[in-house]
Amino acid sequence: MASTRDTAQRLIRSLPRVALHNIKSVQPKTRKKVRRSFAKGKTHGRGHKGQGQHMTLPRLGFEGGNTPFYLMIPKEPYYQNHHLRRQYPPLTMLSLQRFIDLGRVDTSIPIDLTQLCNTGLFNVNIDRKHFGVNLTEEGADIFAAKINLEVQWTTELVIAAVERNGGTVTTRYYDPKSLRALIDPLHFFKRSTAIPRCRLPPQDALEYYSSASNRGYLAKEEDIEVERQRLAQKYGYVLPDLHADPGSTMLKMRKDPGQLFYGLEPGWVVNLKDRLVLKPKSPEHLEFYAS
Amino acid sequence: MQTIAPNLSAFAASSSTTCKVRQKSTDAAEPKEEAQTTQQFSGHIPVEELEFSYSRSSGPGGQNVNKVSTKVEVRFHVPSASWIPQDIKSKLIELEHNRVTKEGYLVLTSDKTRKQMLNQADVMDKLRSIVFKAAAKPRGLTDQEIQLRDKRLAKSKEETLREKRQRSMKKQSRGSPSVGSV
Repeated sequence: MASTRDTAQRLIRSLPRVALHNIKSVQPKTRKKVRRSFAKGKTHGRGHKGQGQHMTLPRLGFEGGNTPFYLMIPKEPYYQNHHLRRQYPPLTMLSLQRFIDLGRVDTSIPIDLTQLCNTGLFNVNIDRKHFGVNLTEEGADIFAAKINLEVQWTTELVIAAVERNGGTVTTRYYDPKSLRALIDPLHFFKRSTAIPRCRLPPQDALEYYSSASNRGYLAKEEDIEVERQRLAQKYGYVLPDLHADPGSTMLKMRKDPGQLFYGLEPGWVVNLKDRLVLKPKSPEHLEFYAS
Repeated sequence: MQTIAPNLSAFAASSSTTCKVRQKSTDAAEPKEEAQTTQQFSGHIPVEELEFSYSRSSGPGGQNVNKVSTKVEVRFHVPSASWIPQDIKSKLIELEHNRVTKEGYLVLTSDKTRKQMLNQADVMDKLRSIVFKAAAKPRGLTDQEIQLRDKRLAKSKEETLREKRQRSMKKQSRGSPSVGSV
């Protein structure tokens, strides 16, 4: 016969975690008995005669025929749907070159949003609907660094400026949950939750990130190579051969479309205190994080 | 990540719409130099064979325009250019005689924008369109067009002769009437 303690322990192990949706108050709430007033008889709050008593009052907002207030005032939709639009705070190529020259960013490793945020001089605020960095054209003429760059938005001139110097650019989308981890990895690892799998871009961004001319991370490698040649012919520079470059392994490093951090896969848990990386073994977990 | 070697034939097929990719079939016995010259200009320009130089642009702009070298000049020797088919070189020099020096160097400049890279792109675009223009062959007449032209010429000739005859008769009728005529 199982003891009460064993039963209790078994129950505690099997029952779900206590939360607001599965607890009841000790004393059930009783409905208050409706108390009707004797005074609200005769006209029953409707007054005497007129539209009010005869149920022929006009619609709410009607002002007897003149243009009502809610139609008189014009619409000024300056911020209509602003809360639904994605924003990419800009970073100039001049700033990036300055970061590199002053040693704030290491060019021997791939440069992505984490490296830029780690400088402390570039900030991304998810609550303000920021979805990453937009690398702008200012300073494209003087840009002279060979880097493996990953940004969220950029233009053709910037791509040409980076490739002219022997580097590579990729445009990559991160959903807000993944972006939060990417911006402050230390804070994320301290929470000891599993690394999320990055989601695909929304419909209106899918075309941008699948296009080789934007160096999208979902585009084909052959198409990107063709585009590199086309850009070199358009802007009139000799395209440096990446394969002959001694640092080519670093320049060719790319994250998987679902991968958030280099060297870490979705589903893994980083334990900073014990300096461990915990990986799931069960097939359900592996299937979930691969989907 | 697997290595991909640059595929220039793929570039030629997918570049700008003005690009002509057709290459005339050459005889196997012909030497390579002749095969090069009978080819059409594909739109590809070897950038290493061009000489670029940068200087300050003209126009307003204060300290920035005074300091920054955004004007781009490109020059190359036309007769010794290997990438232009031989038969269009003379046509090219004739069309752009204002931009060709005594020694045979074609010189193009651009200071259209505020950025050197954009000006360089502009100069490349100019160069490419100049070479395409020189390579353009005049369109011959089709058989239908020749037929139509000949038909119209014949008709106008006929009309001219008819008018001549009428004028002649009018002049003749003005003279004094001869015996036997009405």
